Amino acid sequence: MNSQRVEFVEAKGSIVRDCPGTKHHICCGYKTIDLVEGCTLSCSYCIMKAYLNTPNIRVTNDIPYILSQVEDAINQETVHVLRFGTGELSDSLALDRKLDLNRPIVEFFGQKRQALLELKSKWASIDHLVPYLNPYTVISFSVSPQQLIDSEEKRTSPLYKRLKAAKKAQDRGCFVGLHFDPVVIYDGFEKDYHYLIEDIRRILDPEKIIWISLGLLRFPPMLFNHFIENKRKNLLSGEFIRGEDGKYRYLKMERIKVYRMLYEKLKDIDENLFIYLCMERNDVWHEVTGLEIANNEGLIGLFDKRIKNLYGGTL
Amino acid sequence: MMDTIPLRQIDNRERKFCLSYPLNDKRLLASIEKVGVIEPLILLEGPGASLVTGFKRLESARQLNIKKVPVVRIQLSEKDALLFAIHNNLTRGFNIIEKALALEKMVNMGFPQEEIHDVMALFSLNPHEKVLRTFLSIASAEKPLKDFILDYGLSMKNIEYLLRFEKQEQKTVMRTLTSMRLTESYIREILEMLHLAKIKQGSFDKSILKDAENAEDLRTRLKKKIHPGLSSLENKLEQIRKIAALPPGIDIKVDPFFEKEYIDIVIRTKNEQDTKELIRKLNEVLEEGHIRSIFELTKGRVR
Repeated sequence: MNSQRVEFVEAKGSIVRDCPGTKHHICCGYKTIDLVEGCTLSCSYCIMKAYLNTPNIRVTNDIPYILSQVEDAINQETVHVLRFGTGELSDSLALDRKLDLNRPIVEFFGQKRQALLELKSKWASIDHLVPYLNPYTVISFSVSPQQLIDSEEKRTSPLYKRLKAAKKAQDRGCFVGLHFDPVVIYDGFEKDYHYLIEDIRRILDPEKIIWISLGLLRFPPMLFNHFIENKRKNLLSGEFIRGEDGKYRYLKMERIKVYRMLYEKLKDIDENLFIYLCMERNDVWHEVTGLEIANNEGLIGLFDKRIKNLYGGTL
Repeated sequence: MMDTIPLRQIDNRERKFCLSYPLNDKRLLASIEKVGVIEPLILLEGPGASLVTGFKRLESARQLNIKKVPVVRIQLSEKDALLFAIHNNLTRGFNIIEKALALEKMVNMGFPQEEIHDVMALFSLNPHEKVLRTFLSIASAEKPLKDFILDYGLSMKNIEYLLRFEKQEQKTVMRTLTSMRLTESYIREILEMLHLAKIKQGSFDKSILKDAENAEDLRTRLKKKIHPGLSSLENKLEQIRKIAALPPGIDIKVDPFFEKEYIDIVIRTKNEQDTKELIRKLNEVLEEGHIRSIFELTKGRVR
């Protein structure tokens, strides 16, 4: 039974922050808007199980306070096009129909036209936002094979609903993002991911996919114990090592192999798809994409270029 | 009021308030043998004379064939008597099994959650339901497991790992680990790998424990099982090192998980001539492609 309660908390300190990234791994320079902390979807691998102290969902609904921080961040940035997201400490859409938090933020970005807002979710509910959507909002869905959704993301929307919602956003003139994160290695995962990519090919317009992230399963030690305790066979079936940041990740040669497989299959849909690796090392980047991304700045530069290509001089 | 009563009047099978584990205490036995029971046992007033505190003293007196012991009778409800026993023993300190027994008795007597959490805090435990559940499992564990926990001074993490095994598996694990001299961290590594292997293959592999010659052998076998890729990389690195035949003055250090993009090459030299010779050798190793082969491993290019 779900014992989570929504509690409204006073807006204090920084709500808009830099994505914390992780040591020795390349980060895309994302800005997070932490207006909701906690999630009702309760995915078995969720990193929030290790980080958040309360089972309750904490909501900061002082929108003017939040927007003033977003505006400050945009005004201070002189080089890059900023990308903001509300899906770092929560799912962007899971509670949004009820809480109506995203609408004013979506409208703000539509009026500001200087940065992008990404709503990242596993919950295919965008109808309440459709009238307000504009090109400066990116609707993104985490995507996983349905088998993995059934076993590890039990309270989320099924894959076909997520893809249908993404298509609806595309039809409304929005770009969409896709996040293959976490990619999980389990018996037969290659075939399942192949079908997943075929579904994407069938349903979505690749020209309106702004970015696709790939991130193999990684987690802090506390979650490793949690997986053992709960006998999460799927999540533990690969071979893990402790990375330099202390997190568990698959062995590098396995990561490269899996990233390559996904990268090639996705590029087969459309060579121009913008695909990036989330929190990976620079040699993994090189082995998978052939690109030499030396640091965060290098990746942020790629995003700038991508956005410029799609939006022209309007951003 | 203090009294002296015959030992046989105390029912030593009545353990309602017994928080001591184990009951045998060599130092106490030696002390009582020398000076007798100094501190009176506490009995609950009423029929049956339930012992509230002094179980170890009673056990020692019995073993020493002492006929009479000093007692004090108190008039308390059962719940208060249990709290009395807990607080009376707090100063001497509780081991992990005794904490578990105390909490189990509180639960069985129907103490409210708040009072149980208060006692957990007194025991320096996180007053959380999950922690309580673990302690209740410890309290209901069989004697060999309790003894193993105390003998090895196991941490909570290791206790939790042990408790997660089925009873028969616990026995096999304890039998194997007892035959090896292991540190706490070594035990943890082994238990973690055993669980991981069990989850991955869906069943507990007894043979890996049975066939292991010693602790290092067990660790290697388990590592091969759950880290086949890493083990294979280690073997390949070892082969490269062998073929390269590095002199003692040169060491090539590779990240143990083959994660880092770089390797460290350390040259230890005493004089100019040594240095020249080691650099020549290093150059030879480089020319023969051994360094490249190592980079193939760290860049994940080798399967």
